[in-house]
Amino acid sequence: MANFILRKAESKDVSDILRLIKVSKVGDMVQHFVDLLEDGFGDHPFYHCFVAEVPKDQQSSEGYTVVGFAMYYFTYDPWIGKLLYLEDFYVMEEFRGFGIGSQILKVLSETAVKTRCSSMHFIVAENNTQSIDFYKRRGASDLSLEEGWRLFAIQKEELLKITAK
Amino acid sequence: MNFKIRAAIKDDCKDISRMIMELAVYEKMSDQVKISHKELERDGFSSNPFFQCLVAEVPEENKSKEGHTVVGYALYFYTYSTWKGPSVYMEDLYVMPDFRGQGIGKSLMSQVAQVGKEKQCVRLQLAVLDWNTPSLDFYVSKGAQDLTASEGWHFLRFDGEALDELANEAPKD
Repeated sequence: MANFILRKAESKDVSDILRLIKVSKVGDMVQHFVDLLEDGFGDHPFYHCFVAEVPKDQQSSEGYTVVGFAMYYFTYDPWIGKLLYLEDFYVMEEFRGFGIGSQILKVLSETAVKTRCSSMHFIVAENNTQSIDFYKRRGASDLSLEEGWRLFAIQKEELLKITAK
Repeated sequence: MNFKIRAAIKDDCKDISRMIMELAVYEKMSDQVKISHKELERDGFSSNPFFQCLVAEVPEENKSKEGHTVVGYALYFYTYSTWKGPSVYMEDLYVMPDFRGQGIGKSLMSQVAQVGKEKQCVRLQLAVLDWNTPSLDFYVSKGAQDLTASEGWHFLRFDGEALDELANEAPKD
């Protein structure tokens, strides 16, 4: 098996994207179907998406032809300008080892260069050694290790306290 | 001291660029600053801006030693989580040293949080350098959690040669 295509996601792909997100996440709190649709295909998209699709005769054991996706958007670094930020990237287990992940990464890089982005950024959990190795093999650097950057988040409850002051 | 927080306009880019460099010097990475006010004007003030910016301004009579009235800024944009939806990412928050301790940083951040709240963002994220104790303390006091410590998140990037090499291997159709 080696036949697959990578294409821009369309609104009809949202249910497949949601399925892949749920499969890839261990935790709960996954976006409701309606939000993904509005947030990606409404007036002001928050994200862009590619999907990997196989022909019908190679569909997954449950009958799916959309077998991988990558979600990204543009962010900004005041030192170097526009960046492409890779938010999510997943290929179904039974379709791994065929180069789908590599191709997705390459298309993302090409998109970054075409859209004048100096760099492609993303975050990975340090215990996800498989992913870290995948990225490092392709030339990624770990800014947390090399420069000491730490990711912080202020959740909604605490945010509301800040706005109240 | 009186100060005002307002949305940045195109004309503020020279001041913002000046302060970006000051922040980079503080972070000991000033050699990494490659863009000027021109790129900020193009990227932040077109019909499709890639960032938003707030500035803090003081009256003429309180201007800095070099004559600046724009004395602080916050640069932010929206990100998206497949788990939780839109978030605000505060990329830069900076107040000139002579103007600290007056609540300017707090007000800038409060405004960013307010914008996030209006856009239904579920959280505000930011990155801090591990040795930057004053900033770490400031953000933790506002309720920030260190996700690198608690969940092991690392920032990775492909840039320069690594990015070009990856892109050149992309299928041409």
